Amino acid sequence: MTKHTVATEEELQPGGRKVIQIEGREIGVFNTDGEYVAYSNWCAHQSGPLCEGSITGTYEASFDSDSLEYELEWCDEEKIINCPWHGWEYDIEDGSCLSRQKVKLPSYPVTVEDGNIVVDV
Amino acid sequence: MVFLVYNAMAQTSQDALGETTVVDTDVHLTVHPEDLAQYIDEPHKTHVSNTTYGTPFPSSGWDQWMGGKIDDNWSTFTSTEEIDQFCEDFNVDHPIINTFDPLGKFPQDKLANALMRGYNDYVIDNILDESEHKALIALATQEPDKAAEELDRLGDEDQFVGAYVGTTGSHPPLGDPQYDIMYKAAEDNDLPIAFHGNAEDFMFEFPRQNQALNKFLQVHTLAHTWSQELTLNSLITEGVPEKFPGLNFVFLESGIGWVPYTMHRLNKEYSIRRNEAPLLEKSPEEYIRESCYFASQPLGEPNDPKHMNSLIEMVGAENLMYASDYPHWDFDHPSGVDKHLRSHFSAEQRQQVLYDTPIEAFKLNI
Repeated sequence: MTKHTVATEEELQPGGRKVIQIEGREIGVFNTDGEYVAYSNWCAHQSGPLCEGSITGTYEASFDSDSLEYELEWCDEEKIINCPWHGWEYDIEDGSCLSRQKVKLPSYPVTVEDGNIVVDV
Repeated sequence: MVFLVYNAMAQTSQDALGETTVVDTDVHLTVHPEDLAQYIDEPHKTHVSNTTYGTPFPSSGWDQWMGGKIDDNWSTFTSTEEIDQFCEDFNVDHPIINTFDPLGKFPQDKLANALMRGYNDYVIDNILDESEHKALIALATQEPDKAAEELDRLGDEDQFVGAYVGTTGSHPPLGDPQYDIMYKAAEDNDLPIAFHGNAEDFMFEFPRQNQALNKFLQVHTLAHTWSQELTLNSLITEGVPEKFPGLNFVFLESGIGWVPYTMHRLNKEYSIRRNEAPLLEKSPEEYIRESCYFASQPLGEPNDPKHMNSLIEMVGAENLMYASDYPHWDFDHPSGVDKHLRSHFSAEQRQQVLYDTPIEAFKLNI
């Protein structure tokens, strides 16, 4: 593993992102609510440039079988990254895919050192 | 560990495609109405370009891009430069271009015919004269004799390698004898017919269902397959391949899962009710294997990939071709079908799907 400085804290504000090339790999670094995460710019579906997709919320629904009540909620605003190719949704905080339980984005450890954001590749 | 495997897979897949010649049988050129209008005579020119009179291009109102979750690559895919960039990005060597718009939906016959000629002249000027790319002749099916005239008008243009018929909205179903004159012209000009389903015009073909379903996911899962199943059923049982044995038929944008079902069901029905399809001299499956070709997109995604291998085996590499459907939002990268071809099929079968079979289906000179 090698450490790479990819941005300064100032550069990557909450909600911000930066897609960079490290050792021939495209990696997206995100600031989500003050936490930094980094993923391969590669969707598990058809290799689309996932990290360049829109960051939105999504719909979740629940159903109460006793009352037959169906509730629909738009939630997780700014927490869902959508692949720009086909809209595959991932939780930006842990890289888990919303539609496929077994799929998780390959991730990289991110640390902050002296005001710099550092990715371990 | 997991990401190392992912990256290795992605890299190997790109490398393998980079070393292979790939034909893409379904690439949609976007033609904006104001550009198309320049190729259309009055009174239709004003109708097409001036929305004061009511645009002839209806919208179903479904939110295809899910409020921005998916990128719109469609609006800008209008030139040879865009096509060339796509080919480079997707490792496609030979894209077969069409203008998408299913003309069969238009209630005004004369407008449909004007659009047919307009799209084709537009493609000649903006794509064929500007590049070596191949394209399909757009056909309107309302007046099949006019479609036949269009095939005769353009049949000598080498870069046109087939004719394009939108199946969703064409009425009656496309095996009906009224289309014989169109199929005759296609056979005479040695041009295969490519049938293409779509979801936007589900509202014409299946209006009750379009109105009753709540989500576009539901419409989009049914639309292409219903239209193509209807078309193949009508085509075979009316005996079109028996009437025009030199004609190839290509089915675009409905994947392949429906093909074994329809083929086997037609065999069964035919054996029971042969006297309702008296033109046929062999089983439906034999006609389909001899004259029909199927494009991979949208390739199904079974939880167990082995199941897709079985489907590909049933359709057969000699009848299966790759298609991207780019720039529409449900496009398939070639790696989608190629991962099955590389893991389960021989190098010869892989080459058939990516190259040899489309050459045979479209009689390509490449």
